[in-house]
Amino acid sequence: MRRLITSVGAMPGNVYGKKGKPHIRVKIQGYNHAARHSSWIVLVDLDHDADCAPLLHQEWLPHPAPLMCFRVAVREVEAWLLADREQTASFLAVRRNLIPGDPELLANAQETMVNLARQSRRREIREDLVPRPESGRPVGPAYSSRLIEFASTHWRPDVAASRAKSLSGAVECLKRLLQSPQSSGSWPTPSSASARPCEPKRSQRLSRTCRRPCNSEEIA
Amino acid sequence: MRFSKIVLENWKNFASVDVPLQRRAFLVGPNASGKSNLLDVFRFLRDLASVGGGFREAVSRRRGMSAIRCLAARRYPDVRLYVVVEAAEGSPRWEYDLRFNQDNQRRPIVREEKVSRDGMTVLERPNDDDRKDPERLTQTYLEQVNVNEDFRDLAAFFESVRYLHIVPQLVREPDRSVGLSHDPYGGDFLEQIAKTPENTRNARLRRIRDALRVAVPQLGEIELWRDARGAPHLRGKYDHWRPQGAWQTEKEFSDGTLRLMGLLWAAMDGTGPLLLEEPELSLHPEIIRFLPQMFARVQRRLRRQVLISTHSPDLLRDDGIGLDEALLLRPGREGTVVKPASDLDEIRALLQGGLTLADAVIPQTRPEKAEQLTLFGDL
Repeated sequence: MRRLITSVGAMPGNVYGKKGKPHIRVKIQGYNHAARHSSWIVLVDLDHDADCAPLLHQEWLPHPAPLMCFRVAVREVEAWLLADREQTASFLAVRRNLIPGDPELLANAQETMVNLARQSRRREIREDLVPRPESGRPVGPAYSSRLIEFASTHWRPDVAASRAKSLSGAVECLKRLLQSPQSSGSWPTPSSASARPCEPKRSQRLSRTCRRPCNSEEIA
Repeated sequence: MRFSKIVLENWKNFASVDVPLQRRAFLVGPNASGKSNLLDVFRFLRDLASVGGGFREAVSRRRGMSAIRCLAARRYPDVRLYVVVEAAEGSPRWEYDLRFNQDNQRRPIVREEKVSRDGMTVLERPNDDDRKDPERLTQTYLEQVNVNEDFRDLAAFFESVRYLHIVPQLVREPDRSVGLSHDPYGGDFLEQIAKTPENTRNARLRRIRDALRVAVPQLGEIELWRDARGAPHLRGKYDHWRPQGAWQTEKEFSDGTLRLMGLLWAAMDGTGPLLLEEPELSLHPEIIRFLPQMFARVQRRLRRQVLISTHSPDLLRDDGIGLDEALLLRPGREGTVVKPASDLDEIRALLQGGLTLADAVIPQTRPEKAEQLTLFGDL
């Protein structure tokens, strides 16, 4: 998320959420309320909660505030990462042609990511990302920190956007938000020492399913 | 090497325990359920095998047999500790089994001591020598260099156990814990850092500084510094509006900074199992959230076992924690019962339904009638 925001030339503000999708569901009206005065982006995974993103949109937030950018990753934020095939391949140390060409079609992008990691040439990638069979969890012990590391360093949102429609939609939405005259007037002003002069965004970050509630907040 | 299984009988809170241990384990339970007492088993083994330790000393540090034996035990049964130690494939698998009690003069006495290597018995006591001279049973073979030759690797492994529960006040005022070496509460923390060879020390402090910047961004450098009397101090340079920044010593560091420094230092210091008591104390939830992954990566790099006791939902929210890595402690009339979360169908079902491990586990370990604490206000 931070990476996305910086990629369009803005500075992220505070990040909320990080406690899973149900948590965001409960709080979304509060974020929406705040988005009347400052720019907000809310990101959730579609998962299998609805057939398509617009339906989820309708259900969660039928009346978004003017400065609210509510985006849904299809179907999981991992799909956005996989969409940068070259960088994902080098990060996972696997052959490029193993990475699916159309990640948004994946029913379970997280599982795909884990299975790709299973074939990694690097031991530390396998051990960090792939769960032990007895662990009973879908991901390995350092899965989310590895993905955060990848997303904030090598992942290229602009390249990935060409393969993931929901991502390019999110980037467009952010750019619109940046250009909107309303938003520029309402950004927090640098009155306190911590606010940076050009800080336009308060981002609220996703965290997707309750299955994996707190990981990858900063992934995108 | 790591502990892969532990069996206890009549040890402190536990009448009977039999659980497998993973490379990383999280002990979760209400207050006074015995999290520290479970960790104490490994400290006991360390005390047995270490210099200045031994069986009698290990028992007396715990204030005698009556303090060690489980209150739920009937009459005066033996206390039993049995551990399995495994290493990478190709290395031997060790078992150590110790039963002990006290004699008529209330001296601790070994009832049985067994060591096996890859299933072959290496030691079995009491042996003929013990029968001839019962006085020998006041010591384990583990602690004696002249008889533990066949299983010295195991003794060295026990000795490599490290326990840490840094109390920031003790780090700041080491006089309060005079003369302790490897004081788990941090009394000789600065001394330990000072004793480390300079290059290693500087490399570690650099790594700690890099890691700490996440939590304390204004911290610029950390170094070991000796005052006029030669006493070691840690000092850090904080960036602020003055171009030079300002140096502060451990006396001024925040509790959170000190505890995190201790945690990171301990993670790099040594290769044996690391026992951590509530590492979440004084830390921000966002930092706590990443502790399990930090330990996972330390564990992968150094092949070191990490056993952690915790109350923190933020820590347990991590998706990477295996269900077999979370050990739940539940106190009952017959002592505390320990079970891996993977043995509980209810927890599996809750996770499949979308709850986090924290959501599923914390209510299970909630003290009954916790709300009654508020009544204290009206007493």
